[in-house]
Amino acid sequence: MLCQFCKKREATIHFTNVINNQVEKIHSCPLCAEERGFDYLKKSNFEKDHFLAGLMNLSGKPEKVTSAPDCCPNCGLTFHAFRQTGRLGCSNCYEVFNRQLLPLLRSVHGNTRHLGKVPRKLSPRVNRKRRVGELKNELKRAVKEENYERAAELRDEINALQNSSPPPEEE
Amino acid sequence: MSVIDELLSVPADWLRGDGEENEMVLSCRVRLARNLERKPFTHISGAEDLRDIQGEIKEAVAGTAAMGEALVIDMDDILETERMLLAERRLLSQEMVQKYQNRSLLVNRGEGVSVMVNEADHLRMQVLESGLSARDAFRIISALDDELDEHLGFAFSDRLGYLTACTTNVGTGLRVSAMVHLPGLVHNNDIRQVIDGLRHVKLTVRGSYGEGSEVMGNFFQISNSITLGHTEADTVEDMESHLKKVLEFEKKARESLLREARSLLEDKIWRSYGILKSARLVSPKEAMGLISAVRLGIGLGIVTDVALTDLNEILIMIQPMHLQRLHDRAMKPEERDRIRADFIRSKLNKQ
Ligand SMILES: [Zn+2]
Ligand SMILES: [Zn+2]
Repeated sequence: MLCQFCKKREATIHFTNVINNQVEKIHSCPLCAEERGFDYLKKSNFEKDHFLAGLMNLSGKPEKVTSAPDCCPNCGLTFHAFRQTGRLGCSNCYEVFNRQLLPLLRSVHGNTRHLGKVPRKLSPRVNRKRRVGELKNELKRAVKEENYERAAELRDEINALQNSSPPPEEE
Repeated sequence: MSVIDELLSVPADWLRGDGEENEMVLSCRVRLARNLERKPFTHISGAEDLRDIQGEIKEAVAGTAAMGEALVIDMDDILETERMLLAERRLLSQEMVQKYQNRSLLVNRGEGVSVMVNEADHLRMQVLESGLSARDAFRIISALDDELDEHLGFAFSDRLGYLTACTTNVGTGLRVSAMVHLPGLVHNNDIRQVIDGLRHVKLTVRGSYGEGSEVMGNFFQISNSITLGHTEADTVEDMESHLKKVLEFEKKARESLLREARSLLEDKIWRSYGILKSARLVSPKEAMGLISAVRLGIGLGIVTDVALTDLNEILIMIQPMHLQRLHDRAMKPEERDRIRADFIRSKLNKQ
């Protein structure tokens, strides 16, 4: 691919820029990139955060509709500030802004559910939740296939798991 | 002896270049991003919070089996040029070179295991190893993570996993990256297709050595970008299997180069070696290109009297801050070109 600016040299620098909420793909040679001040890699984190913040503006629902709190009670960060910097303020922010964050996480990772490791002390609870999730999927399948015997078994297993110790709190 | 001198008194383990496929894979790095529960993330923390977090983490790290003997480098105690030097050694991020107050680097001798304190996240743990070694590196870092979690309690949500300042790291907080040397693919122009393929499977490719900008010396950094919805084991295995495919392509490219243009290739390699052994002025970019050619020569069995260890050391030592430290003073780029050439000559002519 040729550089979009000089149209002579090979474009070796490719990145996405967000200007006024417009996502723009840039393909540039190193020389033109330098000339234009796209000092991309030194600022790559910034660019990326900025890009995500831009994505948020594109795909996120308007705040009015979601009626989420304006700021995180733990750290005081506003959602507006997150949009500007692309960084959350504390772990509690993830709960407070959960509803706005999920679509963003889906667009970044293609997914909104952690499947990786769990702190040792939380693992009984999280493993139980994961197991319940799996069983519920299986239950849906069983019902769809009209396998009611299996469905009843699964329902009992789910109930047993959910009652075995403090119920998993709602997310 | 200053703490930086102490660090430099032991060569970095990964430079030994004794890992699997180490001519093509210089190093594998894994890092985990972690934060303390309910404490504000670094970028909005005030000095007092930062100091508390810094103290708490330093104490916890000192109590671990993996890092009990670690060197503790407080960023407030060292010069900017020293922070840049640590970044050249890939122990510190550019962000931390700039934002250094109430931040620390804890690092084992040999530089295999390190923790940045109060970077974008409260903790950024890193394991750096030679060659294709992501699995092994992950095992080490995961054990450190378990140990630290016992003492510190990391921010975690049942649904989203480990919570990080930036949404790009949430979930596993795991970034696996490999530094690879792909002169064959660059030469036959298949590199673009390979990069597109890697992007398609959500791997990020940076055309450069370290955090630099353009492709220098045919070195590329490949890393995962997805941290949510996959287990750590899958992330590491996917990465390794994609890397192995890239290495297969690279080997094929080299074979066809040898078949079709052996004399030309040998000439290029020997000329590069000759220049490195005799030049009096070498710019960083030229040096990287020449080193790449000699490295390829080693990979193909054409050059046999240079050790990869020495080439690796040269790669690190010819960076600006390392050259300046060698002579203990600031230098203009032109002067560094001379010192760079001197260093390379002394290294390659010692045999
Ligand atoms: Zn151009
Ligand atoms: Zn918060």
